[in-house]
Amino acid sequence: MGMQGDFFQLLKEQGYQFGNPVAAAAGMDVPTATTILALKYRDGVLVAGDRRATAGNMVMYDRTDKVLEIDRHSVMAIAGVPATAYEMVRVLEHSFKYYRRTQLQELSFEGKLRAVSKLLKENVPAALAGTGAVVPVFAGYDREQESAKIYFYDILGAEFEAVEYAVSGSGSPTIRGILHYVNTWGPQPLATLPEEQATVQALRLLSSAAEFDSATGGVNRELNLYPVVKLIKAAGVQTIPDAVLKRLYEREVVRER
Amino acid sequence: MYEEPYRWIEAVGNRRQYLDEQFTKGSPVVALAYADGILMLTVSRGTPKLYEIYDRIALGGMGHPADLEKLRFSLLEMAHVEGFNRSPSDVTGARLMKYGLAPVIKQAFEEIYKAPFIAKILLAELGVKPERDLFLSINYDGNFEESRGWAALGATSSVQGRMRRYVESQPPFAQASLAQAVELALCIWAVGSLAQTASESSTAESSSTQVSDDKAQGDDSCLPDRAALLTHVRHTVAEKSLECVLLERRGPGSTKYRALRPDELGGLLPPAVSSPAVT
Repeated sequence: MGMQGDFFQLLKEQGYQFGNPVAAAAGMDVPTATTILALKYRDGVLVAGDRRATAGNMVMYDRTDKVLEIDRHSVMAIAGVPATAYEMVRVLEHSFKYYRRTQLQELSFEGKLRAVSKLLKENVPAALAGTGAVVPVFAGYDREQESAKIYFYDILGAEFEAVEYAVSGSGSPTIRGILHYVNTWGPQPLATLPEEQATVQALRLLSSAAEFDSATGGVNRELNLYPVVKLIKAAGVQTIPDAVLKRLYEREVVRER
Repeated sequence: MYEEPYRWIEAVGNRRQYLDEQFTKGSPVVALAYADGILMLTVSRGTPKLYEIYDRIALGGMGHPADLEKLRFSLLEMAHVEGFNRSPSDVTGARLMKYGLAPVIKQAFEEIYKAPFIAKILLAELGVKPERDLFLSINYDGNFEESRGWAALGATSSVQGRMRRYVESQPPFAQASLAQAVELALCIWAVGSLAQTASESSTAESSSTQVSDDKAQGDDSCLPDRAALLTHVRHTVAEKSLECVLLERRGPGSTKYRALRPDELGGLLPPAVSSPAVT
């Protein structure tokens, strides 16, 4: 079994349980986390997420990181219950490493996608019980095909490839419409935007989501709080520093009246 | 017949002799800490001998490939379950060695009805700070030791002793560049490799002499100079392949392990080794 490099199987053999439903929790306000988006731009894929976690009407935390690096070439952005999502990311991170180190080759991009689906499927009972629903967006660089790709999932584990962009979370209906509009009738399609302009779009989109969705945190300039924006290119995953986001936000997003 | 204590000791002694012979054709493994991390190097015949165990831990091995694989898998399993259940910083070379490898290897060595592991293993661990870099090596009988700065695996203790004497004769290398570190590691490797060839041929001549005999001989003869060592490397590399991995302190992300690509390694080799080999 170990010879196949399946880390999740190894954990299970050691008694680890994932995605168990908790019946008593129905009706409880479970913390959830909210607007994430991924879009293809000129050099690869941009993934961004706001930083608010809420439980019912309460803001739990305003510094959540929902765009998580799984390895040097893949990122999972999470919407839903953070506890489950973080656990999923940890399982994935170790699974990919374990596979690479035991099999002496990188897990294929398709294999990584399957691993995400598999975890979501295992999580269905918890998701349906209301304590563990996670709706992620997975983006990564497919080295065999030499292109960055975006996939989104439903809570049952079905995977869908996004041609141009994908969104998830409670603020996503707002920006889905904007993305369609900008991509179709804007000055240029999203896929041709250079890095800086793609980042500006992401900041504007997340600010719009925060405007209409109380569970999405926007930019808080007083606290110097900006969304998390990561770029996936052939060379790997790169995080845009807050200083750059601040500069772009002040120059391109704020409109003084 | 092994129930009698005397027989058991005799059997273990035979086992030692048998195992010592198994390693003489193997290739030494050298690891050393340089300015930007740790370098591990060996020359292999097809099957790789250097591996990634965890974010900051590399493994080098001598011995039978099947045994090495078995031990490598058990280390990987332990490291990853531990890293997941606790945290990646709780996965340390010392714990892997003491609780993962040593008991298994010792038990296999002493259970004389079963086959022992034909394996010697070196773990290199990149510390958070350079002074916490650690090297751990284990012999086929489960004996392990820790060292700082550098470590090497060789067929016998006399071969390892010669490699140690060579390192001690060299200037300090903690601040060496990668190219300097590669050259030094190649020389240490060559010292070990030449010593193994010498002891192999001397045991072939007088096949029944005791181990202590070649130990004395190995330690007394003077060490070859750098040019001779690099010539030996050049001859060996022409037929076999040079393998080199790094644990880079400033590498991106959490995984610090990286195998050098052949073209990168080619650029780092001293001219005495690379010039005729590059075609």
